[in-house]
Amino acid sequence: MSESTEAPITQSPAKRRRWRISRRGFLIGAGVNGVGLALGYTYGLPALHLQMAAMLDTGEMARGGFDTTTPWSWFEVLEDSRIRVYVPKVEMGQGVHTAIAQVAAEELGIDWADLDVAQATTALGPVDGNGTAGSTSVSSTFTPIREIAATLREMLRAEAAKQLGQPATQLVIDGRGFAVDSDRAQRVDFFPLVANKTDWEVPETAPPLKVVADFQLIGQPLPRKDIPAKVTGQAIYGYDMRVEGMKYGAIARPPTIEAKLTAASAGDAAGRPGVHTVVIEEGFAGIVADSRANARAALAALQLTWDEGKPWQQEEIDTLVTVGQGDAVTIQSVGDASQFLSRDTTVRGEYRSPFAVQTPLEAQAALADVTPDGARLWVSTQMQSATRDTVAEAIGMDAELIEVIPTYLGGGFGRKAGFEVAVEAARLSKAAGVPVHVGWDRSEELRYGYFRPPTHHQLAATLSDSGQIDAFEHQQASGDVAFGFVPGFLAVIMGADFGATRGARVHYAIPNLQTVAHRIQLPVRTGWWRGLGLLANTFAIESFMDELAHTAQIDPLTFRLNHLGDDPRERRLRAVLEAVAEKAGWGGTLPEGHAHGLACCIDADTTVAQIAEVSLDQATGRVRVHQITAAMDCGLVVNPDGAAAQVEGNIMWGVGSTFIEELRVKDGRIDLNNFDTYPLLTMRDAPHVEVVLLEAGDGKPRGVGEPPIGPVGAAIGNAFFTLTGKRLRQLPFTPERVLAALG
Amino acid sequence: MQLTINGQPHEVADDPSAFLLWVLRDELGMTGTKFGCGAGICGACTVHVDGVATRACVTPVAAVAGKEVRTIEGLATVAADGTITLHPVQQAFIDAQVPQCGWCMSGQIMTAAAFLSATPAAGEDEIVEAMATNYCRCGCYVRIKRAVINAAAQLATTNQEVTL
Repeated sequence: MSESTEAPITQSPAKRRRWRISRRGFLIGAGVNGVGLALGYTYGLPALHLQMAAMLDTGEMARGGFDTTTPWSWFEVLEDSRIRVYVPKVEMGQGVHTAIAQVAAEELGIDWADLDVAQATTALGPVDGNGTAGSTSVSSTFTPIREIAATLREMLRAEAAKQLGQPATQLVIDGRGFAVDSDRAQRVDFFPLVANKTDWEVPETAPPLKVVADFQLIGQPLPRKDIPAKVTGQAIYGYDMRVEGMKYGAIARPPTIEAKLTAASAGDAAGRPGVHTVVIEEGFAGIVADSRANARAALAALQLTWDEGKPWQQEEIDTLVTVGQGDAVTIQSVGDASQFLSRDTTVRGEYRSPFAVQTPLEAQAALADVTPDGARLWVSTQMQSATRDTVAEAIGMDAELIEVIPTYLGGGFGRKAGFEVAVEAARLSKAAGVPVHVGWDRSEELRYGYFRPPTHHQLAATLSDSGQIDAFEHQQASGDVAFGFVPGFLAVIMGADFGATRGARVHYAIPNLQTVAHRIQLPVRTGWWRGLGLLANTFAIESFMDELAHTAQIDPLTFRLNHLGDDPRERRLRAVLEAVAEKAGWGGTLPEGHAHGLACCIDADTTVAQIAEVSLDQATGRVRVHQITAAMDCGLVVNPDGAAAQVEGNIMWGVGSTFIEELRVKDGRIDLNNFDTYPLLTMRDAPHVEVVLLEAGDGKPRGVGEPPIGPVGAAIGNAFFTLTGKRLRQLPFTPERVLAALG
Repeated sequence: MQLTINGQPHEVADDPSAFLLWVLRDELGMTGTKFGCGAGICGACTVHVDGVATRACVTPVAAVAGKEVRTIEGLATVAADGTITLHPVQQAFIDAQVPQCGWCMSGQIMTAAAFLSATPAAGEDEIVEAMATNYCRCGCYVRIKRAVINAAAQLATTNQEVTL
């Protein structure tokens, strides 16, 4: 198979395309260069957060209606008769461009190398109000893109039939065109089909889609289209963007988490070396200069007065993050757990997780070119549409005049769902009248974004004589995740924070069950992080399940299987538990001083089970994870190698969170400087990973980018218990905490 | 000031304290070398200076004057007819489908290439120690390790052929 790569970063043509609307709601227009055919239809329009809430629960995204006012398209026939797909999802390493290309090429019926992938922008390609988040990129686009691709294919076939004077039923796709099946010399390429035609008709009925058994590309471990550029330094990210005449921006940062800028003047900043413009606006001060170093250096010359607010300490925040504080919402209720949980025999467990920071290795970055006529921004962003709207409001410009062009992202992990750097670059560019690039440094990345919130979990359960759970309760307190980003009225409608409670519901068949979420509003801004609340909630629930299994003196695998019924999701959870147990040799012999621990979860309608193999250095309190074996059922797998890579990456995130990642507030500040104070996991502590992929068999893809982070902490903690008889209840498992637990 | 980068002379502004990373990226537009931390910790900015893996973010340009700087853009070899042959480490990273977001990969590849050049017969433990100096936030460690082990084997075979 020939090597296949991506198109370079695109931007919309200066002139907008004209579109007309077909009866099926398709949009038909000329290609980007004014020739060819572009075809699309709307999907995933806003009501963003409510949709996301529903989707995270069911793993499905609601399909949007037809927006008949916005021009966009998915496909374009290029002049060399290749077909380009504009992908609205951004490529941040999850392989989504390749996965979506596989789906598109499959239904188009063309060769893999003849499909060109380009990143959609807010003005070019499909509009995507949902952004790239929540492990839904493939599952939400899978059917729409196939329907559009099949429709395009049939429109081209009908035109080919006309041009060749042959019945459409006799035509097959042959290379970059159609040919008569019995006489391949009678052929026409795609581009000549579309070059001069303007009176396209969309078929009245949707063409049938391929059945799973006929898939040739979907399900194959095709090489990623973005990788060749990423091993040669050619891939362009937000931090790499350059345009003629650009300058560099730096922003004055608040000294504390509550600080407000109350007075500001330029001081002698304008006279500092290389300074182009000093920008002082309401609550905002920045410098535009000829280099990043000069821009940063000149910040020191600004005269700034801050109201620093309260000098918060971590201990005060830990006290706030406690079950019973804040508003409580019952998010799961089966039977009546309370009548059981007052018994003396009730088993209780308590767990905590700390603040952590996403810190993608590419820090926040945006290049903005704001002119009086409009603006273009090249941004490392997971949310191009919301970035455009936020920038529009910040600089007082009609959103229609702004194009946000997503670049490759040097990691996203939820952090690039924020808008700070795009707004900063746009404000500076508008004030300075030149294109301005803003790239955060590591200290800014560690201190001035939003953080994974700390959590506190109280669990309680009663067991029957036979070792079945009669009643189970999970009381969970968390700082905001989604609620930090939605208006207050929406929070009231939604009840509980779908981000904080991700993974908080219990998926076992238990007759009396209650989950209560306590919303803790903190002075520290908290928000999106890989998997949202999934890791913390699964850590608590699955560690506690292990406690119950040991209390009942039942093997932890058997104990879990004993609490899974015939519900389809429970059957799929059972399947991954059994698969991981077989793969890892659960119950078998391990090297001296090693132990296994098991945990599982359901997220984005994907089931995951993992077994960690650990050992302990008693003297130092250092736990070593030798291997994590993972089994995952994410339904139909579009690219198994890509799915395995996501499992591997999630496990590394989980291991880092389990042993290292924690940040603290001190004197009102985020007490971090650089990676010296927030080290990341390295290869030295990275476990070997084995991945088993199962399929639900219903032909439906499900989430992959986050579910496998869920079980990691619990699997490791459960292995530690098997090894030592001691329970680790607080993430991360630092050597100090391990030694304390060992007594 | 003149620098030699990937075998080509480049005239850059006479600011000896400027860090090599930003001269490469912002002044010369060679953005393949990435910024990660600015403190020499994460390894995203790793380049070769006279063949030695060096953190460009903490290296003043004055320190590389008169030396050979090689960046990710210059790691592959280009034949007289323009044919590009990737370095065995680059090829191994493609073969093992290593990168996810890719931001750390220039540094990973430059670190591995310099290490394997200096330590041709490296075993797995040595490779892990050498590569533990570079962060990968996506967590591609399983594949980085596999790729560097494969590249080491590939280089050993090639060296053997050359010797024979």
